[in-house]
This record gives sequence, structure tokens and C-alpha cells, in this order.
Amino acid sequence: MNYMPGTASLIEDIDKKHLVLLRDGRTLIGFLRSIDQFANLVLHQTVERIHVGKKYGDIPRGIFVVRGENVVLLGEIDLEKESDTPLQQVSIEEILEEQRVEQQTKLEAEKLKVQALKDRGLSIPRADTLDEY
Amino acid sequence: MLHLWLLKTAQNHPLLVELKNGEAYNGHLVSCDNWMNINLREVICKSRDRDNFWLMPECYIRSSTIKYLRIPNEIIDTVKEEVAAKGRGRGGLQQKRQKGHGTGGAGRGGIPGTSRDQPERRPGREAGKQ
Repeated sequence: MNYMPGTASLIEDIDKKHLVLLRDGRTLIGFLRSIDQFANLVLHQTVERIHVGKKYGDIPRGIFVVRGENVVLLGEIDLEKESDTPLQQVSIEEILEEQRVEQQTKLEAEKLKVQALKDRGLSIPRADTLDEY
Repeated sequence: MLHLWLLKTAQNHPLLVELKNGEAYNGHLVSCDNWMNINLREVICKSRDRDNFWLMPECYIRSSTIKYLRIPNEIIDTVKEEVAAKGRGRGGLQQKRQKGHGTGGAGRGGIPGTSRDQPERRPGREAGKQ
């Protein structure tokens, strides 16, 4: 029952399984236990899911208290449809290895780009430091 | 149940704090305040790349720099016990005073649905009720 029609609220989402995307790119999946006006979240039985291509791996993480400003979005997971995915689950070691390889190729591509831009006299700040003011 | 209350219960327990810049602080929670600023002791600070480590007897972390905190699973059980204990205590008092309002903070219902996930059902306030 919405006390303020036309507003968004997380109240209905309590105790449901959610996928939370953080600003640093991490994906957390857990049961939403607590919220507040800043959308600070308490997640229970949380799992960090790492996606690389069509594969993913889950790392169990326990209880998370996430500061609201770091959340990009969150969405409820339909428990019945959850397993209905074209993605392939792999072991933690494998996905971490895949991630490492992916980061490496990204870094190398980034280096080339930065160098090319530098040669043309341009410099673009790194995305993760853009928010610092 | 709000996260601040959970943190207050987590005093003296080990925590992992990740800051917005990616640094990870592992330590025991000494105290926290209403803004989520925290004091840790016996802290290990790991740099973003997990390459460098620093050991500190204590540190203060301003809440605005925190990305998230990870707390041990046992906290949930501790919180449940605390709520039950509080509820029992308040319930006794209420009987004596025979106050009308049942909200008196007694037994906030604990952590909604800890043992019950979907399908959702919020457990009623077992403590403080007659």
C-alpha cells in the first residue's frame, strides 16, 4: 500500500532477492533486509557475481551494508525465472582468471588509446576519478 | 531494522570496509555514530590493487568515504537475540505500567523475515505483544 501515490519506494522490496549494481561495476545479489531514505541497503546472504562474456561466477560474501550513493540500480530477482538464463556458471577460480585476462586486455587497449590521445595533445581523465571534486 | 542499529550491534566484531577509492580496511569496530563514521582497531589496510598492506592500531573512517561494509554472518543471530531480550524486558515493564500504546519500541519485530524469504511474510512483533 503506497502512502504517497506517485512516489518510488523500496519498502515493497524488503526481504526479496535483488540484484544491485554498484558504481564501481560490481554486481551483488542478495536479500534486501533494510533500507533508509538515502537508499543505504542491508543485503543478506549476498553473493558477488562476476560476469565475463557468457560466463559468470558467484562469490559468497555474507552481509553487506551498502552506502546508498554507491548504488546505480537494483532490481528484484524473480526466483522462478532466476535459473532461466543463457549464461553459464563457472567456478570462482575460473571466473577470476577470465576477469584478470579481460582486465589486462582492457588495460592494454586503454594504454594505446591514452598514448594516441597524448600524441594529439589531448588528455581525458580516468572514468573512476571523474567524480572526485 | 536500520543499518545503523545493525552497526551498533556489530561493535567489537571484525568488519571489512571498502572505501570509494577501492582501499579495503579490515578491523574490529570500536564505535560508530549516527552518520556511520566509524572507529576501527587493529586495522589492516590493503591498497586498491591488494598489493600493499599497512597495519594500524586504530583508525577513523569518515562515512562519506565508505563504499560498503561487510559484517560477519553471526551478527544477524546476535541481533535477533538482542531484539528478543529487549522485547522480553519491555514486555514485563508494560504489564506493570499498563500503558496503552503498544509501540513503545518494544520488539521491533527483529529483522523482517530473516528465516523466511520469498514468499514474503513479515513476522509480527512477537515481543511486547500480549
